[in-house]
Amino acid sequence: MSSAAGPPPEDAGQSSAPPGTPPVKSQKQMTKAERREIQERQRAAKAEKAAQNQSKNPGKSSNKPAQTSKESAPAPRKVSKPAEAAPRGAQGAAGQSKDTKTGGEDKPAHTRGLRIFSHFGLPKPTSHKGEVHPAIVRLGLQFSEFKITGANARCIATLTSFKTVIQDYVTPPNNTLSRHLMTYLSPQISYLVNVRPMSVTMGNAIRQLKLDISGTDIDLPEQDAKDALCGKIDTYIRDRIIAADQVIEETAGNKIKDGDAILTYARSSVVEKVLLAAYADGKEFTVTVVDSRPMLEGKKLLKVLSSAGIQCTYLLLPAVGSVITEISMVLVGAHSLHSNGAVFSRAGTALVAMMAKQHSVPVVVCCETYKFSETVQLDSFARNELAPLELFKSFPRNNEEDSSSLGDRPNLQILNPLYDLTPPSSITAVVTEVGVIPPSSISSIPLALGRTIL
Amino acid sequence: MDFSETISLQPDIPEFVAVILAGFGNELSPLSSDAGGEPSPKALLPIANQPMLDFPLTWLEQAGIKDVILICPTAHRQAISHYIHSSSSTSLRIDVHPYEETEDLSVGTCTILRHFTHLIQQDFVVLPCDFVPPSSLPLSRILNKFRTESISDGCIATACWFAPHRSEKGATPDEWGEHDFTSPIVYDPVTGTLLHVDTPDDVDRNGEEIELRIGLLTKYPRTRLSSSLQDSHVYVCRRSVLDALAQKPTYDSLREEFFPWLCKVQYQRTKRERYGSVLTPATNILDQRVALRHSTSGIPDDLLHEKNQTTPLDEKNVGYSAPPSPTSDEDKDGADASLRVGLVMHRDPSELAARANTLRSLLELNRATLSKAQWTLPTDPADRALIDPKAQISSDSIIGESTRIEERTSIKRSVIGKHCMVGKMAKVVGCVLLDHCVIEEGAKLDNCILGKNTKIGSKAGLSWCVTQGGYEVESGGSYKNEKLEISDWAAGGASSENDGTSEEDEDDEEDSEEDDE
Repeated sequence: MSSAAGPPPEDAGQSSAPPGTPPVKSQKQMTKAERREIQERQRAAKAEKAAQNQSKNPGKSSNKPAQTSKESAPAPRKVSKPAEAAPRGAQGAAGQSKDTKTGGEDKPAHTRGLRIFSHFGLPKPTSHKGEVHPAIVRLGLQFSEFKITGANARCIATLTSFKTVIQDYVTPPNNTLSRHLMTYLSPQISYLVNVRPMSVTMGNAIRQLKLDISGTDIDLPEQDAKDALCGKIDTYIRDRIIAADQVIEETAGNKIKDGDAILTYARSSVVEKVLLAAYADGKEFTVTVVDSRPMLEGKKLLKVLSSAGIQCTYLLLPAVGSVITEISMVLVGAHSLHSNGAVFSRAGTALVAMMAKQHSVPVVVCCETYKFSETVQLDSFARNELAPLELFKSFPRNNEEDSSSLGDRPNLQILNPLYDLTPPSSITAVVTEVGVIPPSSISSIPLALGRTIL
Repeated sequence: MDFSETISLQPDIPEFVAVILAGFGNELSPLSSDAGGEPSPKALLPIANQPMLDFPLTWLEQAGIKDVILICPTAHRQAISHYIHSSSSTSLRIDVHPYEETEDLSVGTCTILRHFTHLIQQDFVVLPCDFVPPSSLPLSRILNKFRTESISDGCIATACWFAPHRSEKGATPDEWGEHDFTSPIVYDPVTGTLLHVDTPDDVDRNGEEIELRIGLLTKYPRTRLSSSLQDSHVYVCRRSVLDALAQKPTYDSLREEFFPWLCKVQYQRTKRERYGSVLTPATNILDQRVALRHSTSGIPDDLLHEKNQTTPLDEKNVGYSAPPSPTSDEDKDGADASLRVGLVMHRDPSELAARANTLRSLLELNRATLSKAQWTLPTDPADRALIDPKAQISSDSIIGESTRIEERTSIKRSVIGKHCMVGKMAKVVGCVLLDHCVIEEGAKLDNCILGKNTKIGSKAGLSWCVTQGGYEVESGGSYKNEKLEISDWAAGGASSENDGTSEEDEDDEEDSEEDDE
């Protein structure tokens, strides 16, 4: 009797239930499993309804199923965003937010599904800001169109443009050049970074420039201060790039003996100078130029060397294994050199170095000291750059109508990472202007030179 | 922190200055002739009720160019200045400079530029006042190409050629002028270089063939010839081009003489030697020679040794040339520059790009804007009151403010200016009416362009006509394929040279022309 009294008051309480349906239990009475079941059902129904609503919007239905499955995966990664390195952070967040936009908007196909390198994104289309000096605008265009590439070239180009900017600068009243010029240059620098991520060489040069600016004497008349700064920039270029290259030419040239077969990868301005100088000295050697897509810089090196009269061989990266046994020395350049001895260079250098090491061929890296970076880099995934697709078509240029077909396919993502990391174990020696050093003692160099910063 | 101070004090370094050339518009002759004693400048003729001049000005503003020099004939100066100062806020600084020219004595564009060289201190953009750019071609595209190439390559100028809209042959009457302004050009598609432009002089010299130099083909072995492109007359040039212009005093027209000549400098050795130093002055403000020498993607010419440039007889010198030094000597630097003329080609079938310098293109441009127009009743109640609800106005028309439209009129595919009056039962199809026109009842207009203040009498019928401003068509008059001009009274009604142009004396209202309908 008493048990019968239990359910009926409950039923009476839920009089909204139409007669004939099974009595709806209250939440308290159901077991945990049953509650969870109901929750899941509700969630599924909600997702379905949301999907239906989305599919009603024109043009978004096809993206939605893909989006929902992708959303869950990058979502946990989004949480770890703040942990990313600071210079990548701004780009990474932008690239990430582009990826996971739930609106399913029609972004170009290559940003969707770019999971592996999505944290360093793609170069953004730059918007012209009012305060950017026209020289910097032009420089940005040179960078984004890949007309000036290479660590040395970009650094020299940046410093040359900054000389123009400094000469055109006017100190506002109630302000000093040493304090204000830096704030004036900051938006220009961030404009350049937006166009293409800054190279280590540019970073070091700008750091030195900032130091020089803050060290200018307050009492100097403005034009003198500007001239002094331009002079310091010239000195920097002359001493740490041009003169350093000449010393490296000599040092590395001594390593080249008659009858050598030298292998080089892609195109490094330093290695080019070394080879040309050694040839001018009268040494007899042959050069094998290894090249890789998409930039195909080796072709230009080939042109320069062969027009100088050096006997050259040209091949693509996959073929390295077949010639490495005949090589006596590998000479490569570097984008930057890190404290743990790793060399950050054009994508493909690591392969060449590793292959050479396997076959006991000495790998010599030619690198000026201003390319040193105090950071430690362990792999080429944390920090890299992707080349834009439009600039480097994979097909030969004469069929320009065909070459656009690669970018349009929805199932094909093309990635062109520009750099890779060669671990110190594959490198035999680094030739700098201060001498030939083993990769493990990189970090001691600045100290030995008496410099507090690089 | 004083934000205003820090920003405003930097000297405004204008990277480009724009030069807009506003000519007389001889091809638009009845429209651009004086309307009742007042000049009617070509630059102010409207397209979709917006003066033509608006389009290049907005284009410039979007690209971020702030300084504009506008050169117009003295007679038009007042009208144009008035328009510029009264127009809504633009951030452009427009300088109007008059040039002494009259309708009969037309001065070439080269002469004008030579005259105003002192005003131009930096790289400049030459624009015509009648170019209507499509929205898919931003000026920054042409500017960016120039900026990139002038540093990395030594390019001296960039031109823009577009594929004009081709209409059928019979679409507009022949009396309205030429159909085609395209000329054959030879260009290199890979690098975007303009190599050869066929000028009218070339055609006169040899009408059957196009003559090209072997030097051109040696330098650019893969070229293309196209005869379907029209010159937009938009040229982005280095300052040194003006110096070269000064050396050519006989040239009159930029488009027909000077630029085709400029294209030849890059591959003709003698011209290069003579003008190379003028075109790349030694004091180059921003040059990245050292950076380019170190760059991994590009070879400055002097890194390739002399072997490539000397004659094949000089075999002995191979291999003995000295390696280039990283800090090169100053003398050879002029040889670096390629002295190219870049080319931006624009082919967009969906959007019309045109130069509104002929009657036909003016009509087409108006029509093109109509296809995007959606006419609805004006929101201003005063305006709305003027438009009779019984008037049939199709949605692809544009009607200006304060225009009065009476009942049972039919307006299709037309652009009607401000302060017009369209009488009862008038039919206006495919027309362009400028401001202050009066159309009396029962008139029928078909594909006409009416100048300002034109008065069309009742029951008149016009088809494919163009009237000068202030003209009055008598009631019942009917014209077809004619350009109607107010004759010069003093000359006693002398006939003009154009075919099919008839002149009407305003007093001659009794004249009855044949009724074509």
